[in-house]
Amino acid sequence: MAAPTSDGNRDGVAKDDRIPRITSAIRVIPDFPKPGILFQDITTLLLDPVAFKDTIDLFVERYRDKDISVVAGVEARGFIFGPPIALAIGAKFVPMRKPNKLPGAVISEEYSLEYGTDKIEMHVGAVQEGERALVIDDLIATGGTLCAAINLLERVGVKVVECACVIELPDLKGRVRLGDKPLYVLVS
Amino acid sequence: MYARTGFITAVYKINRSLTRLKPTSISPSTRPLIWKHLYSTAASNSDVNRVHVAVNDDRVSRISSSIRVIQDFPKPGIMFHDITTMLLDPVAFKHTIDLFVERYKEKNISVVAGIEARGFIFGPPIALAIGAKFVPMRKPNKLPGAVISEEYSLEYGTDIMEMHVGAVQAGERALIIDDLIATGGTLAAAIKLLERVGANIVECACAVELRDLKGQDRLGDKPLFVLVSST
Repeated sequence: MAAPTSDGNRDGVAKDDRIPRITSAIRVIPDFPKPGILFQDITTLLLDPVAFKDTIDLFVERYRDKDISVVAGVEARGFIFGPPIALAIGAKFVPMRKPNKLPGAVISEEYSLEYGTDKIEMHVGAVQEGERALVIDDLIATGGTLCAAINLLERVGVKVVECACVIELPDLKGRVRLGDKPLYVLVS
Repeated sequence: MYARTGFITAVYKINRSLTRLKPTSISPSTRPLIWKHLYSTAASNSDVNRVHVAVNDDRVSRISSSIRVIQDFPKPGIMFHDITTMLLDPVAFKHTIDLFVERYKEKNISVVAGIEARGFIFGPPIALAIGAKFVPMRKPNKLPGAVISEEYSLEYGTDIMEMHVGAVQAGERALIIDDLIATGGTLAAAIKLLERVGANIVECACAVELRDLKGQDRLGDKPLFVLVSST
């Protein structure tokens, strides 16, 4: 990919003095949810108000002049990072939820898991054709849920400007699965 | 800002008379009867000093009208208050957060606890604005580290709420946030979890109250603040 841009972004990974504090605020828990997995726990980041604020600020600085009118956050940890960004850039927040949680009419997208499939849903009418959207989650692993969220938004004619996550697990190649959709992360 | 002066005076007087009746000469078996009597003879309703509803100004009107009511969800007979439409109105959403921040910013609150999942939408912006940490209160088996759990009743059966060990220290002042209070069961479980680790719960705060379900009765002595009170 291209050389670093003027905002310190190299290959879709942030470069900034605030990143070390964010990185060290994230707790890694071995063997959760099952043996062999190293779980990246952002709840400890949320216990450090400075690191949490820095996290939001880094996203807001990147997106506030990009005419984004929709921030879509994937349940449930995307609900923690999406709304503060939406509020700061004046966009609406659209929750992307597991099945049967949203009370009104929904559109659904099925996606693969390691074993079996799952579904993600969005309210009909939440977004309009032509709107520019950001998709937020705490972490990208295989990219399955983010792809499903992108598909939902594109099906109603929304332009997904970028996907943004606090953490990327590069070995799981989620970035590749997003194809032509750019991905921006703080910690890789 | 939140009540008329006469109302505040009435609440103050009721509180003062209750305090005077606390002396230890009253036996424990009689005390509950006196409390109940005083609460029921208070000027208007017995809950005036525990439920605070935001003054219905322009901001609250906009918030209220942005919330969509959906009939028969999740089952027939239930009128579901859907806050997702309020999140689609950036001005209404900002007003919602501002109203909570204005109320809590000078109260030395160091913990904002939000209840999964819609409490995750309102809690973090408030926590960020007042410089507090955000603590998610989750369904079972979601939090990866060591947790403490609290079981609570549902209409049929029970559920469990969890919080990470070490998230909150004894003596911290906490706010509990959810989008809506119905029966108060989940808020009551959150209160228990925080009290078990020695936190001091300053208030519970919700965007919407379904007052006919009398959720505030399950909050014990903890006050409740809501923006919109609905039947």
